[in-house]
Amino acid sequence: MSPLEKLTFILMGVPTTLAISILSFFLGLAIGLPLAFIRAYGSKPFQILVDAYEKVFRSVPEIVIMLFFYFGFGSHLREPFKNAFFTATFVLGLRSGANQSQIFRGAIRGIGEEQMVAARSLGLSRLQAIVYVMIPQTFIAATPGLGSEYALLVKDSSYAFIIGVLEMMKRADVVRKVTLDTVFPYFAAAFLYILLTFPLSTYLDMWGTRKKKQLGL
Amino acid sequence: MAEIVLECRNLWKIYGKVVAVRDVSLGIKEGEIKVLFGPSGSGKSTLARCLAMLTKPTKGDVFLRGECLTRPGVDLNKARARIGFVFQHIWLFNHLTALGNVMLGLRRVLKMSKEEAEKRARRALREVRMEEWADHYPAQLSGGQQQRVGIARALAMDPEIIILDEPTSSLDPELTGEVIDILRELAKKGTTMLIISHEMLFNREVADEMIFFDEGRIVERGPPDHFFTMPKTDRARRFMERLIKQTARD
Ligand SMILES: Nc1ncnc2c1ncn2[C@@H]1O[C@H](COP(=O)(O)OP(=O)(O)O)[C@@H](O)[C@H]1O
Ligand SMILES: [Mg+2]
Repeated sequence: MSPLEKLTFILMGVPTTLAISILSFFLGLAIGLPLAFIRAYGSKPFQILVDAYEKVFRSVPEIVIMLFFYFGFGSHLREPFKNAFFTATFVLGLRSGANQSQIFRGAIRGIGEEQMVAARSLGLSRLQAIVYVMIPQTFIAATPGLGSEYALLVKDSSYAFIIGVLEMMKRADVVRKVTLDTVFPYFAAAFLYILLTFPLSTYLDMWGTRKKKQLGL
Repeated sequence: MAEIVLECRNLWKIYGKVVAVRDVSLGIKEGEIKVLFGPSGSGKSTLARCLAMLTKPTKGDVFLRGECLTRPGVDLNKARARIGFVFQHIWLFNHLTALGNVMLGLRRVLKMSKEEAEKRARRALREVRMEEWADHYPAQLSGGQQQRVGIARALAMDPEIIILDEPTSSLDPELTGEVIDILRELAKKGTTMLIISHEMLFNREVADEMIFFDEGRIVERGPPDHFFTMPKTDRARRFMERLIKQTARD
């Protein structure tokens, strides 16, 4: 294999890597945003449940959870977990939900109760105030943190390699096995991971920081 | 006799061990301007927020045009939309332009179309002379400009009464004038208002009645001249002396 052929083979893993990262990011968003608002405005028992969820997913290594779902559920019970791509995305999404819940919670705390009171004074319901006043500001305040979370997911999508998903890392390893070249494939993968994470997360960080400054958030 | 727009009867608000408002009864009639003043921490803001049902009174009742708001099952969102509120620390929505701030309630509470809401919002901004600043975010405006948008935001909802909680006290002294001017104009138009304010010249000019508040209670009330000439209680007299000295210094 020429270096170009090796690189091309590894590059073909990019769509899978990105698919895992992006899908799990949005799954994490769908979980984390409501959890953050439940944590901020929900009743005590729900707050405790959210806390427990965050604790579990932030302390158990995602690789343990991934293997647990894939071999535990996948081999015995549930059809979808037999699919390694699904399991990897699902588990990373659950974990990202715990992270994003914390990111959003910090953002909500920074925005403060005043915005809520001002919205209620106009006659907005609590839900309307959350949707039209809190969430937009929460997103802006959370953007730099979300950029880091995205980068983390791209990196962690490489764990999918362990349960056999043919993403970038797996492909680099295949090249190593076939060609016995132990340097180039990993070097290429490392370079590609930087390319996939750094520009976007840096952009989000800069955009978020500038916007926050503009709005005084 | 003019109808009472907003009223509280035997209102109490207790935070843990702090009794912020104790047994206050007060009504504001159509077209009337009442001014509330008194030392910091005396419970003025708490009373104002209870009247606007932004916090739940511990005891007692609030009535909006005779309708009891402190009974269970009342649609408080509807009631709050009929009561304008201007905050001491302004509290504009940071992520929206001046225009967006004024439009939000029109769109989401009064359910106006975008065009209608924008027309109404621009008119309100014109009334506070902030029309040219419609596209600016709060952080790009001076304190006085922000508070004028805050007034426009309340005004645009066409409320039956506006409650203003020390609308100028968080502003630099040189910026209070522009806000006071707007309030003066509102007063001339016959807007029903409850104003918490220590701007004594303004108070004297616009108030139908002034209420001296201390330790959660109405201590003394009467027409403005009453306070400037012969307050009955020691506490009111001392407080007036301090304020007048301060005004003379400014
Ligand atoms: N949300 C709250 N929680 C606990 N105590 C409060 C709260 N709001 C006001 N208080 C207390 O109630 C008293 C009256 O406060 P406030 O109504 O803000 O007075 P004023 O507006 O006259 O300065 C103060 O002792 C204050 O510390
Ligand atoms: Mg106050």
